[in-house]
Amino acid sequence: MIYFQVLANGLVLGGLYACIAAGFSLVWGVLNVINILHGTFIVLGSYIALFSYNFLGIHPFISVITAGALLYLIGHLVQSSLINRVIAAPVLMTLTLTFGLDLLLNNLMLVAFKADYRKLVLDNPLGRLELGPIFMPLDRIAAMGLALLLTFLLHRLLRDSRIGRAIIAVRMDREAASLMGVNVSRINAITFGLGAMMAGAAGSLLSIVYPISPLNSGMFLGKAFVICVLGGLGSVPGAIVGGLALGVIESFGAIWFGPEHAVTISFTLLILILIFRPAGLMGKRGFE
Amino acid sequence: MNGSAKISRRLVAALGGVAAISLATSGAALAQDVIKIGAPLPLTGPLSPEGVKQQQGYDLWAETANAKGGIKVGAKTYKVQLVYADYASNTPRAVQTAERLITEDKVSFLFSPFGSGAAKAASTVSEKYSIPTVAATASSEQVYDQGYKYLFGTFTPNDTLTEPLADLVTGKNKSIKRVAILARNDLFPLSIGQEMEKAAKKRNLDVVMSEKYAIGTMDHASAITQMRAAKPDWIFATGYINDLILIRKQMKDLGVKAPVVTMIAGPAYQEFIDASADLAENISSASWWHPAVRYKGEDVFGSTEAFNKAWAAKYKSEPDYAQASAAAAGAVLQIAIEKAGSIEPTKVRDALAAMDTVTFYGRIKFGPTGQVTSLQPPVFQIQGGKPMVIVPDEIKQAEFKFGVN
Repeated sequence: MIYFQVLANGLVLGGLYACIAAGFSLVWGVLNVINILHGTFIVLGSYIALFSYNFLGIHPFISVITAGALLYLIGHLVQSSLINRVIAAPVLMTLTLTFGLDLLLNNLMLVAFKADYRKLVLDNPLGRLELGPIFMPLDRIAAMGLALLLTFLLHRLLRDSRIGRAIIAVRMDREAASLMGVNVSRINAITFGLGAMMAGAAGSLLSIVYPISPLNSGMFLGKAFVICVLGGLGSVPGAIVGGLALGVIESFGAIWFGPEHAVTISFTLLILILIFRPAGLMGKRGFE
Repeated sequence: MNGSAKISRRLVAALGGVAAISLATSGAALAQDVIKIGAPLPLTGPLSPEGVKQQQGYDLWAETANAKGGIKVGAKTYKVQLVYADYASNTPRAVQTAERLITEDKVSFLFSPFGSGAAKAASTVSEKYSIPTVAATASSEQVYDQGYKYLFGTFTPNDTLTEPLADLVTGKNKSIKRVAILARNDLFPLSIGQEMEKAAKKRNLDVVMSEKYAIGTMDHASAITQMRAAKPDWIFATGYINDLILIRKQMKDLGVKAPVVTMIAGPAYQEFIDASADLAENISSASWWHPAVRYKGEDVFGSTEAFNKAWAAKYKSEPDYAQASAAAAGAVLQIAIEKAGSIEPTKVRDALAAMDTVTFYGRIKFGPTGQVTSLQPPVFQIQGGKPMVIVPDEIKQAEFKFGVN
């Protein structure tokens, strides 16, 4: 009976993980940029939700929109002004650049917000779902639902909109896309902005689950890495599958091997997948 | 001439200038007769609530000592100067910070960083430089069993907390049989979890779950699910304030209840009670000191009442054991320096080792390993939003209550 609860824990966590990884995967897949800033963007989204709630009384589920929009602007700006200058350089160069920017932004946040853990405490929590042997706070379930919805919307955007098709075109062949009249550097900036937007939105949702501190950015980045490798790079369905899989694996891993090994398990998995299935569970290279 | 040679020459000149300035300032400090004491603390990061408590304790001691003229060493008096350094709750950085305080800030004495793990790690540095060091918040015996001569601690060993707790609970209620332990995988929290396991087995209780969680864990759902399945009568969770607030909240989310829930170390702190609100009710714990104890001492504060009063005047709150222990660390160091009649590290060290005195914090006598052996830690329970002493009888404030929902 305990396994139903463990599975439920894992799925709820996994939905949030999918949202953490979707933007990271998009930027990596399309721009070939490993965005080390992603974790810090998530934390920034959490702070936006925290301050909106504490000072303006805006519920984190609403802040998803403002946090997403603000982070989109930041992402767009960072890409078009800085990263775009080295976008054609080898991946190590862009990695180093985002690493440097991350140090800068993360330390600015440490100065501005301190490293203390803060908690967003909802005045009127939604209560708790009790379904036979399964107990689950409804706020968590709602956050997971919204996270999956956002990830799905991103997927539809890439599929159905002109911008989305242009992003996919750039992803498949940068030069051909350029020859077909796609403004590649504009698409790059939009893509990076969308990645940051997903991070901000995820951060806002996570604010009701996790304590908030700039120190968490490394943890989020690590999860995003594992999920991308697990699900396959650059594909939104891959991020969903990878996220849910990681959530469930961590949950059961904690039960079977002890909670202190949850992180060990996810990184062991990362190594195994890299050895045996380098394209990921859902990986079809260059396809969206 | 090439550019790099020019730059390096400028660099040498600049470094020379810096060295000259720092020599000049350290000379000035000596002229004022100041004793510098270094305190590496986790002033930011997950352990910042604990770090700030220690700082408050040191500050109150230093102010009180300086207001009374300072520390008397023979015919001279020295003012206390505390040198703080933040290590952002990162233990390796605590060690570097301790070394920097000794080698660059030239402190004569050191207060250990927070907790058993960091205190143990930093003790290798103070031992290397022969700097007498007082650990205000390190209780685990593994900190003191390294054969070090310069390390002293104001917390008694961990079993002095778990034994009276186990006596109390099993003495009051024979139906308490199943114990679940969830411990932070860190020196002190793990060690006290193991002491609890020993105490339970000694009394023929079933340990139905014993799990560790990693430092920095943000989600305890799996562990708490397992806890619920184990149907414990007594839940024993260890960690620091932020961990325990999160665990308590997730216990509620996942519908875990038990007759007895003990948490160490967090419930003694107002922050835990404020953040957990109703969820804190009937949580039991034990600590090394409580504001209800009463001692008259030869330290700079004079008595527990006087200390509580001085604390309330400065911080508008009641002191908790971590704050008191930090102030006591300063008071004890002061007594040792005055008894030694010298600021020589070896003489002060010998005075600490030979000490047997009463302070506002209790009787202070260090055992052969440097850890204090002369205190009796109180057991308490949160009732009506306040930590009420249950044991020992002399300072008992309330009866133990069962049932944590």
